[in-house]
Amino acid sequence: MAFGATIIRAGRRLLSSLPALFGVLVFTFLLMRVLPGDPAVFFASGPNAGKEEIELIRKQMGLDKPIPNQLLLYLSDVGRGNLGRSMMTGQQVTKDLRERLPASLELTLSALLIALISAVPLGVVAALKPGSIIDHGVRLFCSLGVCVPTFVSGLLLIYVFYYLLGLAPDPTGRVDIFASLPPSKTGFLLIDFLLVGDFEGWWAAFRQLILPAISMALFVIAPLARITRASMLVSLGSDFVRTARSVGLSRWSTVVTYALRNAILPVITIAGIVFSTMLGANVLVEKVFSWPGVASYALDALLASDYAPVQGFVLLMASVFVIVNLVVDVLYGIADPRVTIT
Amino acid sequence: MSFIQSKRLLWIAAALVVSVAATPSHAQSRAETLRYITGASVNTLDPNIPGSTREAFAVSLSTYDRLVSFGRKQLNGKWVFDLDTITGELAESYDISPDGLKITLRLRKDAKFQDGTPVTADDVKWSLDRAVTAPVLGKAQLLTGSLTSADQFKVIDPLTIEITLPKPDKLALPNLATVYPIIINSKVAKANATAEDPWATAWLKEHTAGSGAYVIETFKPGEQVIMKRNEAWNRGTTDKAAFFKRVIIQSVPEPSTRANLVERGDADIVVDLQASDVQALEAKGTLRVISTPQYNSVTFVSMNNRIPPFDNVNVRRAIAYALPYDAMFKAALFGRGAPLFGATWADGKPPSGAYPIPQPVKLDLDKAREYLKAAGLPEGFSTTFSFNVGQASTAEPMAALVKESLDKIGIKVDIQKLPDAQMSTQINEKKLPFFTEGIVAWLPSTDYFYRNFYTGNQRWNYSSIDNAELTAVAQEARFESDKAKYEEDGKKLNAIHFSEMPQVMLWQPAQDAVMASSIQGYTYQFHRQVDYRDLSRK
Repeated sequence: MAFGATIIRAGRRLLSSLPALFGVLVFTFLLMRVLPGDPAVFFASGPNAGKEEIELIRKQMGLDKPIPNQLLLYLSDVGRGNLGRSMMTGQQVTKDLRERLPASLELTLSALLIALISAVPLGVVAALKPGSIIDHGVRLFCSLGVCVPTFVSGLLLIYVFYYLLGLAPDPTGRVDIFASLPPSKTGFLLIDFLLVGDFEGWWAAFRQLILPAISMALFVIAPLARITRASMLVSLGSDFVRTARSVGLSRWSTVVTYALRNAILPVITIAGIVFSTMLGANVLVEKVFSWPGVASYALDALLASDYAPVQGFVLLMASVFVIVNLVVDVLYGIADPRVTIT
Repeated sequence: MSFIQSKRLLWIAAALVVSVAATPSHAQSRAETLRYITGASVNTLDPNIPGSTREAFAVSLSTYDRLVSFGRKQLNGKWVFDLDTITGELAESYDISPDGLKITLRLRKDAKFQDGTPVTADDVKWSLDRAVTAPVLGKAQLLTGSLTSADQFKVIDPLTIEITLPKPDKLALPNLATVYPIIINSKVAKANATAEDPWATAWLKEHTAGSGAYVIETFKPGEQVIMKRNEAWNRGTTDKAAFFKRVIIQSVPEPSTRANLVERGDADIVVDLQASDVQALEAKGTLRVISTPQYNSVTFVSMNNRIPPFDNVNVRRAIAYALPYDAMFKAALFGRGAPLFGATWADGKPPSGAYPIPQPVKLDLDKAREYLKAAGLPEGFSTTFSFNVGQASTAEPMAALVKESLDKIGIKVDIQKLPDAQMSTQINEKKLPFFTEGIVAWLPSTDYFYRNFYTGNQRWNYSSIDNAELTAVAQEARFESDKAKYEEDGKKLNAIHFSEMPQVMLWQPAQDAVMASSIQGYTYQFHRQVDYRDLSRK
């Protein structure tokens, strides 16, 4: 399959998702306005803030206009790449999201990576000896991981590694507060530190990342390992694996090249879904570790009825979902060349 | 379990051990740096912006000077701000004319803005004009000190400014010490003003142009602010620059993490821990815990005096005798604070004209039943009790106890936990019948409390009380210069409050400042934040 053709198809796929994104945009806009709670009153909470201040804030937030007008204004703003201004941080929502998205992505991707490199082997091992002690062990581990909420495992990890043992750095933010930050090129600290060759900084950022990434990973190892196991079982019992075995191919080559490669498609699908949900759902981990990501930002905004950031966040999540689905489809093509993006 | 898994764990453990072995390279700078952690965040550098947080106030107190500031005094062995002592900050001295209508302030000759230019009376005039004219929060605050118009501020010479008052107002000068009337470098601000924004509100939100003890180094709204010392600033209590070279203000949303950080010595000071954590840390005895009752604040159970059945004074009294005060105080605050219940008033009259004073109420279900009967509701009634999510850690156990206790006299309570924005909206619209809230006054004088929280139709009149006598006395007391008469007015107001029982005062929660034992100089401030300029390290 030609690489160019894939790009064109991917572009078409992106275009066709625009109506869905538009729907998300309008729906979130209306939903925010239906929710009870007047943001103007909330933000005018200083001592002595009276009617005048409330009106002032209402005007600043554009809430003094009728809702259809607000919607039109909002759509035209979004069309020009302006997602409005957050009352909480006082900054443009696009700026806030641009600064915070890399933090969330870095954390989520690391967590997903940890989850995948633990879950896939676990699933494979469990599938090789179904019903054995190992299989039960994996099941136990997965159950433990999934039944302990991320903030509990996060707090536990902090308690053990930071509070009791003093091994981990203090669990606040992406890098030691006294360290200096690299110039922001990609927003991914691990990459930015490498780009300027600051290995000490890289190490600091890496240490800071370990605990939150593990507590997030623990939660998603279960679905990934279970899917790998189920899919491997099917694959191992299929004709082509039996054939491979019967012609005397090595065990490694049978399991990895034939069975796993065929079993990996559902894992990729699930990994895509897991990634998108993690990105939005890691709010608790972000809170526990004071991680300056988008999810905790959106939650604070929601509690404060700060419309613009919530709308911006939902739009961002929808876009990420579209892109992740696309990436999953492309990976499908790599894992199984018979699959093409349509 | 899997070999791979255990190997990975081993590797991580090894990595962590190595990382500890490497000594931290920032050890020297630690002693000269103050790291303050908080659950909230700094969202603007100009405290005047609507929506600004208390953390933002603390930052602006360090980056800007005001004309005057509050002194401090000891209250039960702890330092607290002193409303009655006003000292100069940018002003070297001040005079109040005998008729009380003119305040003349003389500026320090050596005061300079952070860009090196001298602070002049023109800058002061521009800043005060801005505070009363621009669409900023200062406007409503300064109004309480009869400061309403730019005509009241007059430049006499480059170092002297005169403020004219329509009436002698004892809150005029204290108002200048609050967080809003910051003195801004007017040349810098004007250079960044636009036609639509002549007071540079947009620019000042993200930049500072002050003369304060600290200069902003980095500002990440919602995450952290780092400030470095202004070496030229000499307006500290001992005429010196501030002690700490750098101050880091960092948002750490998880309360238990804040407790861990300060316990392990990674953070220097924190004021918003959970009461249970404070108690545990205090018991360990390695940290300094300074617990000051917030003497300018009150937590209460409020009843909407216009919604039946709370429009009946006997119902309100019944509630006052049916609240399980001691249990609530223990469950919500672990007993940390100053109770405002269980007092005995000799001959049934208020012993003092101060606000708030402990009320002569305690849990007495028989008395509560009598009042319910007098109200014509012997069987009780049903209502809702609301609190906001932001206060859940203290209000939730309280609400459960209220429900349980009122149930015994036939009042069925449905607990409502509302998101903060929804709660403030409903309070503003006067729709909640029965709820808990807290109030704070920066200038805690009796008349100020009564005027702001018990009169008019504004939002802060939580109980929606409309009592002609109370309103009249509170207004009169505002301009009362005779101390004895003022005390009498205060007693009158307290007596009306007790007999009308618009809402039930519960307690003044403690402000628990937990700090490393090396930190000194902490003073409880009117804005309930840390004034970084007060602190030093032994």
